[in-house]
Amino acid sequence: MKDAFSTFHPVVNFTYFTAVLLFSMFSLHPVFQAISLTCSVLYFFLLGGQRATRFSLLYLLLFGLFMAVINPAFNHAGVTILFYLKNGNPITLESILYGLASAAMFMAVIMWFSCFNIVMTADKFVYLFGRVVPALALVLSMALRFVPRYRVQIRVISTARQGVGRDVTNGSVFERARNGLQILSMMATWALENAIETADSMKSRGYGLPRRTSFSIFRFDRRDRAVCGVMLLLVSVVFAGAITGSSTMRFFPSLKLPPPNVFSSGVYCAYLALCLLPVIIDLLEELKWKRIKSGL
Amino acid sequence: MQEQPLNAGRPGRRTFIAATLLALVIPGTILFGVFCLGDRKYYFISLLIMLYSMLPFALVFERRRPEARELLVVAVLAAIAVAGRAAFFMLPQFKPVVAIVIITGVCCGAEAGFLVGAVAGFVSNFFFGQGPWAPWQMFSLGVIGFLAGILIKRGFLKKERLPLCLYGGFSAFFIYGGIIDCGSLLMFTPYFSWPALLTVYVSGFWFNVVHAAATVFFLFVLSRPLIEKLDRIKIKYGMLES
Repeated sequence: MKDAFSTFHPVVNFTYFTAVLLFSMFSLHPVFQAISLTCSVLYFFLLGGQRATRFSLLYLLLFGLFMAVINPAFNHAGVTILFYLKNGNPITLESILYGLASAAMFMAVIMWFSCFNIVMTADKFVYLFGRVVPALALVLSMALRFVPRYRVQIRVISTARQGVGRDVTNGSVFERARNGLQILSMMATWALENAIETADSMKSRGYGLPRRTSFSIFRFDRRDRAVCGVMLLLVSVVFAGAITGSSTMRFFPSLKLPPPNVFSSGVYCAYLALCLLPVIIDLLEELKWKRIKSGL
Repeated sequence: MQEQPLNAGRPGRRTFIAATLLALVIPGTILFGVFCLGDRKYYFISLLIMLYSMLPFALVFERRRPEARELLVVAVLAAIAVAGRAAFFMLPQFKPVVAIVIITGVCCGAEAGFLVGAVAGFVSNFFFGQGPWAPWQMFSLGVIGFLAGILIKRGFLKKERLPLCLYGGFSAFFIYGGIIDCGSLLMFTPYFSWPALLTVYVSGFWFNVVHAAATVFFLFVLSRPLIEKLDRIKIKYGMLES
């Protein structure tokens, strides 16, 4: 299944991930954490498929377990003492739960970042920041392009040197290392010379002159406006909830959850809708596609 | 249009902007963290502080309207650093990135050193996965390149193998390792404590030793040819320091 959320305007994608990441980093409330973690895993499953999800989850669970153990070992605050360590430091229920909560938070943040990685491709990044920091965005886009180009050039040089018996596969270990470094050195010379020529060519074509136009394949259309509106509404509801304290909980000295009421359950619903937004968009797109196909 | 030398940045203005920004905004952020967030969001606050300290470089670089040649040299060096990291993917921590960033700082000045470090950190995250560690890598690599440029200008560092290797090993172990390990601690425990930091440093010790050794090795092998190449480019195309 192709991800429909990725086809939205980069501003929509970027705002969405910023909001979700910030909320995930700031909320320690169990309901918020459960929503964030579940939705991020679900979305990553849609994006990356079963194998990638299983691998990431396994890796993250191990790491989360490690964090959950590390926290009570160093943090002895809290009133419910379970037992004492050999050196006399107490292990408290609060610090264990806090360790679990921070582990869940870390896992959610990493899962959201994994989704971010797939959705926010480099061209979207360069497009977004090309207006704010044009020179740095140009450096970024050139560097991104150069890396695969240098790999190709290294292959070209090493094939040529293989012909005269001076490749990394020829000779003793010492000679191989020397040949490898020489290939890198040739690549660096070629890259620098090439860069200066590109720069001169850019200059002669008027780089840096005023009234420059930029190439962009992204258009902020009606669909983007609609999703943007929904997103901003949900974000403001969740933000209001976060300010009034329904997104967090107290761990030290004793556990205390904010009392649930009508408003906080509204906030939970809004947060659930926000975190599920890409999944909902993908499902709607899939339904639409199925309907059109069956109409044929 | 006048050709601008590669390190024609006005350190006076950058220092001024940076100083005022940092003097006002950083204490403000820390106070905001203490009073509004209950002094628990160490990761978020440190992230903000790092972004502030990187901002002046970006602003000065943009305001100065850099020449195409400057942009290209920065992009090429950052890409070489990332390609080098990719080339040694089978050896964990054995990477030439710090060495290339130091050589840039030495040859092209502190500003270029910072930019190459930060861009290399950012770009390598596109190839190896974005995550909450990206700003820490960008910041520490940038600082290493910036310091190399400052030290060579003040005459504390020479364009010779031995001092460069010493600085490289030192900076990879203490600056890069110190900042990244602290960052990973704040990333996975929102509750900061000195014994926990010590544990992280102890567990990361051998990784940092390998990284420092790799940096010394690459500086030993690469510093002379790469510095020669950069100097040659600067002479050949008239990007001489004024």
